[in-house]
Amino acid sequence: MCVDLMHLLPRFAFIVFGSLAFTGVRAQELLPPQAEITTVVDHYITEKLQSRSIQPRTIADDATVLRRTTLDLAGRVPTAKEYQWYFDQPETVRRDMLVDRLMQSLDFDFHLRNSLDELLLANRPHDGEFREYLLWAARQKRPWDQMFRDMLAARQSDGAEKGATQFVSTRVHSLDDLTNDTAMLFFGVNVSCAKCHDHPLVEAWKQDHFYGMQAFFNRTFITRKNVISEKPFGEVKFKTTEGEEKTAAFMFLSGTVAEDKTPSFADDERKQLEQQIQKLERDENAGYLISASFSPRRELAELAIRDDKEQFLAKNIVNRTWLRLMGMGLVDPPDQMHEANPPSHPELLAWLTRDFVANGYDLRRLIRGIALSQAYARSSEWTVDETPPAASTYAVASTKALTPRQLAASLLVAIRSPDNWPSPEDSTAWNKQRIDLENHADGWSREFEQPGENFQVAVDEALFFSNNDRIMNDLLRDGGDRIVGKLKSIEDVSESIEQLWITVLNRKPSDEELQTATTWMQREKIERVDSLRSLTWSLLAGPELRFNH
Amino acid sequence: MASKNNGCRPEEHGFSRRGFLTATAAGVTASFSADMGAIHGLRSAAMASELKKQNKRVILLWLAGGASQFETWDPKPGAKTGGPFRAIPTNVTGIHISELLPELAQRMQHTAIIRSLNTKIADHGTGADLMECGRVADPGFKYPDIGAVVARELGRLESKVPDYVSLYTSTEGRRKGTSGFLGARYAPMFLSESMTPPNIVRPDIISEIDHHDRAALRDVLAKRFTASRRNQEVDSHTSAYQRVHGLMASADLFDIEREPESVRNRYGSSQFAQQCLIARRLVEADVPFVKVARAWWDSHGQNFETHQELCADLDHSMSVLLDDLQERGLLEHTLVITLGEFGRTPNINASLGRDHFASAWSCSLSGAGIRGGVAYGKTDNEGQRVVEGEASAGDLFATILVALGIDHKHEYLLGSRPIPLADFGSNPIREVLA
Amino acid sequence: MMSSDEPATELSAAAPSMPVAVKVEKTFGLPAIGFCVTQGEAKTTLFVGMSDFAIHRIDLAAEKIEAVPISQERHNSYVTGLVRASDKLVSGGYDGALIWWDLASGRVIRRVESAHSKWVRKLAISPDASRIASVADDMVTRLWDAASGDLITTWGDYETKTPHGFPSMLYAVAFSPDGRWLATGNKTGIVLVRDVANGEIAARIETPVMYTWDPKARRHSIGGIRSIAFSNDSSMLAVGGMGQVGNIDHLEGSSRVEVFRWQDNVRLYEIEDNKLKGLVEALRFGPGDAWLAAAGGDNSGFVTIYRMDDGKLAAQEKVGSHVHDFVFGDTPDTLYVVDHNLAAIVKLG
Repeated sequence: MCVDLMHLLPRFAFIVFGSLAFTGVRAQELLPPQAEITTVVDHYITEKLQSRSIQPRTIADDATVLRRTTLDLAGRVPTAKEYQWYFDQPETVRRDMLVDRLMQSLDFDFHLRNSLDELLLANRPHDGEFREYLLWAARQKRPWDQMFRDMLAARQSDGAEKGATQFVSTRVHSLDDLTNDTAMLFFGVNVSCAKCHDHPLVEAWKQDHFYGMQAFFNRTFITRKNVISEKPFGEVKFKTTEGEEKTAAFMFLSGTVAEDKTPSFADDERKQLEQQIQKLERDENAGYLISASFSPRRELAELAIRDDKEQFLAKNIVNRTWLRLMGMGLVDPPDQMHEANPPSHPELLAWLTRDFVANGYDLRRLIRGIALSQAYARSSEWTVDETPPAASTYAVASTKALTPRQLAASLLVAIRSPDNWPSPEDSTAWNKQRIDLENHADGWSREFEQPGENFQVAVDEALFFSNNDRIMNDLLRDGGDRIVGKLKSIEDVSESIEQLWITVLNRKPSDEELQTATTWMQREKIERVDSLRSLTWSLLAGPELRFNH
Repeated sequence: MASKNNGCRPEEHGFSRRGFLTATAAGVTASFSADMGAIHGLRSAAMASELKKQNKRVILLWLAGGASQFETWDPKPGAKTGGPFRAIPTNVTGIHISELLPELAQRMQHTAIIRSLNTKIADHGTGADLMECGRVADPGFKYPDIGAVVARELGRLESKVPDYVSLYTSTEGRRKGTSGFLGARYAPMFLSESMTPPNIVRPDIISEIDHHDRAALRDVLAKRFTASRRNQEVDSHTSAYQRVHGLMASADLFDIEREPESVRNRYGSSQFAQQCLIARRLVEADVPFVKVARAWWDSHGQNFETHQELCADLDHSMSVLLDDLQERGLLEHTLVITLGEFGRTPNINASLGRDHFASAWSCSLSGAGIRGGVAYGKTDNEGQRVVEGEASAGDLFATILVALGIDHKHEYLLGSRPIPLADFGSNPIREVLA
Repeated sequence: MMSSDEPATELSAAAPSMPVAVKVEKTFGLPAIGFCVTQGEAKTTLFVGMSDFAIHRIDLAAEKIEAVPISQERHNSYVTGLVRASDKLVSGGYDGALIWWDLASGRVIRRVESAHSKWVRKLAISPDASRIASVADDMVTRLWDAASGDLITTWGDYETKTPHGFPSMLYAVAFSPDGRWLATGNKTGIVLVRDVANGEIAARIETPVMYTWDPKARRHSIGGIRSIAFSNDSSMLAVGGMGQVGNIDHLEGSSRVEVFRWQDNVRLYEIEDNKLKGLVEALRFGPGDAWLAAAGGDNSGFVTIYRMDDGKLAAQEKVGSHVHDFVFGDTPDTLYVVDHNLAAIVKLG
């Protein structure tokens, strides 16, 4: 294993010579705010490649760009009609038209909803309300700072934001989880090490920071009726490594401390309130707690939004969005945003963050900008013997496993007769079918594992594809609505093979593949339909479908 | 809160967690860079221990929910905390266990009891993580559990049987187990809904020949893609498919109908006993690690009633299992462990229950590499504290590894970070090792 | 160890025909868990079998109320059954032993070490004090001569295993006031009423709701018939336990009582209370069988009075942590209750 020293050197220099704050790069040094996101992305990516004399991969072919963009914006592979539509558009504008079409459709809302759900509530059981909230927020293009405020501080009585409270309610039984997850998922900062000692590497993360964050959540509790509430009092006390006892202030990660506006209570008043709170926690028939005038969680939300020094809130979601589209964050790992782990492209991250804040925390704008860049569209192929350049240079596009929902939706698209999908231009008809697809995919998605770091496909999945009834009896059914049925109706072998490749792999077959498939179809004593089914199976079970590349 | 270094190391945070696997030629299973040689037995320094390691297996009887040490291995009759059950002598002089385990009391020559576990974590999830991985979770990455480590150290790369099978058929506290950073190759084959692994039998609708042929076609067509990617996720996809037919052939191992009736009757009809029989079949077929979970011991109320039932189940099933293994010459190669996430409180609550307790509790080790007839460690008269031989989760983990002939100090490399198999500072308990 | 509660409030000392209130008058701590209680000649003298393996005497009429072991000698495990036969006490315990004690001196008169091969759960004494019945988890009922200690007979008829293959338990036993019948109740909800004279089974009554088997989440059982009592006129039989439970790690089921006109196997009442939950550990009919007192608990104890004209709740109160047994006091409006960590004088009003 080699440590990429070239990769390390600029960072090292940065730490030694820079007395800059973490965001470090002075505003005047960035490209101007009026520049297009797409241009800025390509500028900084290319600049670094050139400075290292790294030759990036060429732009991927059209079919690949179509597939990748559709997966990343719509959460599924394109239909055969969409494939055709793409090539029908003039070459110079087809990417723009694709992105615009996808972003206007229900596809985008569903996929954004799913992506945020996976980020925020991944392995915690939760009911549909949280996802309903996310979908509502996606559809009305709700800015990220407002969504953050919803999730952290919405009152349960609020309207459509009600489901947002599940971010807190699924974690309310563990103060540590609530603190750590909020810091990691909204601010990109994993402070859990700082619970026991000042962070060994990061000057900035002391125990004060961990407990300061915890203080914002300490008063949160859940009533027996599952209503998130906040006590009007309560402090976090901790012991430092020197044994000193401290009371935590309401301190945000930036070091800013919120004013503690807790009212003072007489002893018996406080006792009464404590009893009331206990009752609320245990008794279904207890009433309601009058909401505290000072809400630490709301304070946290405001502090984070107002923080224009470090801009953790904006920077984190920019980085995570970049990660989702590009395969690796500008800060990697995404929960280690601190001065000892600087971004691979500090100016780019700074510019995107500034742009994000200046344009109202608009996720769509950011996604669109990245998706239309050259950097996004590079090929992911690497065939030469030498080691590819580090992923953080973005010289080669990433290959990443589909999420369970992407895979489920893609399978359901791939096995359907291409005739059964409406034209991409007919958005009404398409959106209607898309709802059915989403519901259907929901069930199938439970069979697959959510990829995490160092993901490996388990043998369970291979066994599932190889032996589960549903694959043969449902997906590969010989029916008029299925790809198998459609292929059966195509007389010409070559044509049927091409149709299969376009429907399942979103490209035309190579000559060699055509050869192999034709030989397969011409095997003696085997029913044509059986050969079609097994040929289709071999693509469904193959790596090319399984990955975004 | 006193600072105790929980294993947090600075360099882990600075470097990227990615890229710990070197890129390999497409199609070859990627694995740990500096380490892959070991599994092919090329580590010259440890040839002898390689031989010792061969054919060693583990059956972990996971007492999910936390069994009471008072009602099993460390009775305190007459103490205020002792409960109503008495201690009975065993066939090893000087060792007494609960009267609820009479059959096991006659088989103590195979077994070492550890009575001095002090593991501090009395929460089901984190306690189970701790005991299964031998250390507290790291915020940076996931450790592999004992099953995955054993699968990796004792398994064979092209094995036709699974390396790690985990049965957890009750719903309470159900846990799959994790291979952590060792990757999905060592993830357990997990049985939860039934005692047959899912999707292991070829569907009727397709013949065996077609099943193989289409798999071969898949492999051929996949090459175009895999040849142009340097990616461990893609490689794992390939190797998952490579293992399908081998694993399908092992389906019969799970079918206890293939055992003679006399054997099945001997084990009896309890689900736990039947799963012990499956475990015996698996280790007999060289599966290195089988976990059989018996849920759910968490007797917050009616502790004595619950243990009457569950101990009877454990006593009978484990006794028959030990006898069966011994009769087949397998016991000297098979390590049988009883362990849970923690023990139970000395204090008896008003529902006549015992609550979670991780300060002084017990586990047992029998068979391979173990000095039987030993009771290691002591707790005080009421079972409130350990007074002798305190052992941590790491110490137990190390002990298990050494019993199997695995070097507990051997290190995996995660990026540049060395990770010893057993936690830093842990020591195997020599007194229970043969 | 002993501390009084607030002084008694004004409650009627007359026999309540139908209590409308239950009030804890006084409590005092116990040195161990009190499982079973019986009385001396004076009703205010209590004998309590406890988890410290000893029998304690408590004199409620004394100035200083304390629990004192009656003897240096003890059982070898929890004392779970206790009856008085004139000047003797007879106790049974988890050690499987029955012990005869001289009441005055505390001396052991007779120790039957292996009265049962498993844990004795309860004792009952016939109204004429000639016979003692014991039930244990060896699933047999034994009848003993109270004076000589001889074993008169052994009755089986219960499965040693539950339908799910686990060792069963035999928890409850009671004589009818007319001395003719003996009722027993087990883990799986089966009551057998036998003719004491010849052992024939006169009735078999089932209360399966009191047994919860969980096949899916936790794979064991909880519950069982924990208490059984005949009415004063011997015609009714009350059976106590707990209703079905979701989480069998806790006693979170409703407390449950079923009342039968047992000779016709007709169920008169099926009573569940999900306000004061847990096991019903002891049952006694009030004077004239107008009401039934039920006591038990989960992590909290209760005493509940049910009307026997309509099966409805008359009164109830929380008492201590978990009531195991009780007796009627020196006045009919008084109960003496033994509990997980205290004893209590409870007044009905």
